[in-house]
Amino acid sequence: MIYIKDLYKSFGTLEVLKGVSCHVKEKEVVVVIGPSGSGKSTLLRCINKLEDATSGEITVDNIPLNGSATNLNKVREEVGMVFQRFNLFPHKTALGNITMAPMKVRKTAKAEVYEAALKLLNKVGLSDKADVYPDQLSGGQQQRVAIARALAMQPKIMLFDEPTSALDPEMVGEVLAVMKNLAREGMTMVVVSHEMGFAREVGDRVIFMDEGMIIEEGTPEQVFGSPQHQRTKAFLSKIL
Amino acid sequence: MRWEIIIDRIPILLQGALMTVELTVLAVGIGTVIGLFTSLFRISKFGLSRFLAATYIDFFRGTPLLAQIYLIYFGLPQLVGYVPNPWISGVAALSINSGAYIAEIFRAGIQSIDKGQMEASRSLGMSYGQAMRYVILPQAFKRIVPPLGNEFIAMLKDSSLVSVITLQELMLTGRTIVGSTYRPFEVYITVAVLYLVMTLSISRLIAFLERRLRTGDLH
Amino acid sequence: MKKYLKLSLVALLVLSLALALAGCGGKQEAAKTEGTNPSPPAEKKILKVSTEAAYAPFEFKDKDNNIVGFDAEFIRAVAKEMGYEAELTHVAWDGLIPSLESGAADIVISAMTITEERKKSTLFSEPYLNIVQSVGIKEGSPIKSLDDLKGKTIGVQNNTTGHYWAAKFYNVKPEDNFDKIKKFDTTPDALEALKTGAVDAVVADKPVVLAYIKENPNSKLTKVDSDKFEKEYYGMAMKLGNEELAKKVNDAIKKVKENGTYDSLVKKYFPE
Repeated sequence: MIYIKDLYKSFGTLEVLKGVSCHVKEKEVVVVIGPSGSGKSTLLRCINKLEDATSGEITVDNIPLNGSATNLNKVREEVGMVFQRFNLFPHKTALGNITMAPMKVRKTAKAEVYEAALKLLNKVGLSDKADVYPDQLSGGQQQRVAIARALAMQPKIMLFDEPTSALDPEMVGEVLAVMKNLAREGMTMVVVSHEMGFAREVGDRVIFMDEGMIIEEGTPEQVFGSPQHQRTKAFLSKIL
Repeated sequence: MRWEIIIDRIPILLQGALMTVELTVLAVGIGTVIGLFTSLFRISKFGLSRFLAATYIDFFRGTPLLAQIYLIYFGLPQLVGYVPNPWISGVAALSINSGAYIAEIFRAGIQSIDKGQMEASRSLGMSYGQAMRYVILPQAFKRIVPPLGNEFIAMLKDSSLVSVITLQELMLTGRTIVGSTYRPFEVYITVAVLYLVMTLSISRLIAFLERRLRTGDLH
Repeated sequence: MKKYLKLSLVALLVLSLALALAGCGGKQEAAKTEGTNPSPPAEKKILKVSTEAAYAPFEFKDKDNNIVGFDAEFIRAVAKEMGYEAELTHVAWDGLIPSLESGAADIVISAMTITEERKKSTLFSEPYLNIVQSVGIKEGSPIKSLDDLKGKTIGVQNNTTGHYWAAKFYNVKPEDNFDKIKKFDTTPDALEALKTGAVDAVVADKPVVLAYIKENPNSKLTKVDSDKFEKEYYGMAMKLGNEELAKKVNDAIKKVKENGTYDSLVKKYFPE
């Protein structure tokens, strides 16, 4: 589904990604962990081109992202993204947030979009919040609307950029529950997260990054249970 | 005090005030359109369009409005060779000037919107234009209302400068009446009160709009 | 960045304080000299004069920003005769008579025609010059006489006798917003508009139209004279009721006319 080869990314003189190669298979759930500043968020943002790679290749659903003919917006329609800070549109209701892109980008008929949106709201457990504005929702509810918003575009891949780290602890569970459901349904997911419980339970693979490189990867049992690399051990000892 | 001279001239003063309102509404209206597009050019990723927008803004904010009015009415026609019309010249000068100020108002408003809004829109497959139109600008607009109100009030007063190209708005009406009555106090206090009524009405309207926007009726 | 901002703010503050103090200092010094010498015999008394210095050849600014012209030299001669020194200040036309009311000026000399209307609110000296109006037009204009002005757009200087003539010609009140009369701040502005074709004709004091045509030979302007324009008399304006000053001024005018100064000024500014 996603192929990344020799990905480099610099911000000015600061080199954030130093030759990252990896791939994500269809229906696979990959959890990326690592200390802050390790480049894991940048990696995620390169996958849907919120950041331009300095060099290297990225292929999403068989479309090369660096290829000039690539319709960037088309790729983005296939890749949903969930942000740490939700980034809901504050001037739209929960329903408005979910229906905007399908109507404006996909030009789907309004009735159809609304029906699908209500189903999605139901799926994330917020059927009663359809007409509520984001500032009246809790953090956990906002993040669930944000997930529904991304799903409304019927993406083949979902990217999660630390989806629970801006949440109060009591709200983390409700968001993770939605994500677990999604994984169970067979969604291809790349999740940057420190939720080790989630990684163990639904992760097919865990990637540990540090200083712009992939240090270690394997099944959750391998990485958490018997980390090979010194830096992985050091990191895990700090957060577990 | 001889207030009877004012009472006789209320209709002509109101006629002048009406022209002041027309000039201001047109200038700020056209200026808003100019300002919107200029601000988009100003923040675009293309160097040339940024440069052109910045040049326009710098020139019209950095030179006196009076000089711009003279330039458009007296200067350009002699250079290019057309017959100037005071109304068109006046509205053009005020609009172009206002556009430069409003461009900066829009730019500040757009840039005050969290970067994550654009990223979220783009990640949903929206184009830059769609994101601007459906996500960024509707939010920016709320923040633009108060400074736009200030611009409106400033323009209401600055519009008196077009009297130098014979547009008989409120101020020139007042001056002409003083010329034949020699009662500057009565005339100018009336003119001042008329301006005050207009500016206060605008600030009330803006305050009302702001309240509605804040309570979320116009989400 | 913040540091620079603070620094420049402080600099701005210091600069404005310095300027303010310089302004005050000047005034204080002046006050001091007055205080130490209660009535110095050598010191001249000042006659504060308002004039609209955009009206060649009567009053205009030379390249050094001094106000010169017939009226300017004449009032200086008159003031000298009175034992005063004339201090001329430029004031916009519409602000001249108000400057008398407010006390900013003792006297106005600004090519101002004595009219019955103006006499109601201001005290005029004896007339010191007579002139007529003239119509400035573009070369080749179909306007040959005053009758040809019907339907034409006339440019005037706001609140001048030319403006009042045009209002009467079109049978409207001066303050009416009437399409065919364009009111400019200055007569040169009106003549500039004539150049561009924004107005068809300009009615103004003949010497001013003449001076403009002479000074701008490339502007392709000319004038139409008519004996239907009434003779107008210029007077100096003072605050209503200030008979004492008016008497001194009138005596001085008489002397300046008698001692030959007046004739030499007329010759200098109106050679025709």
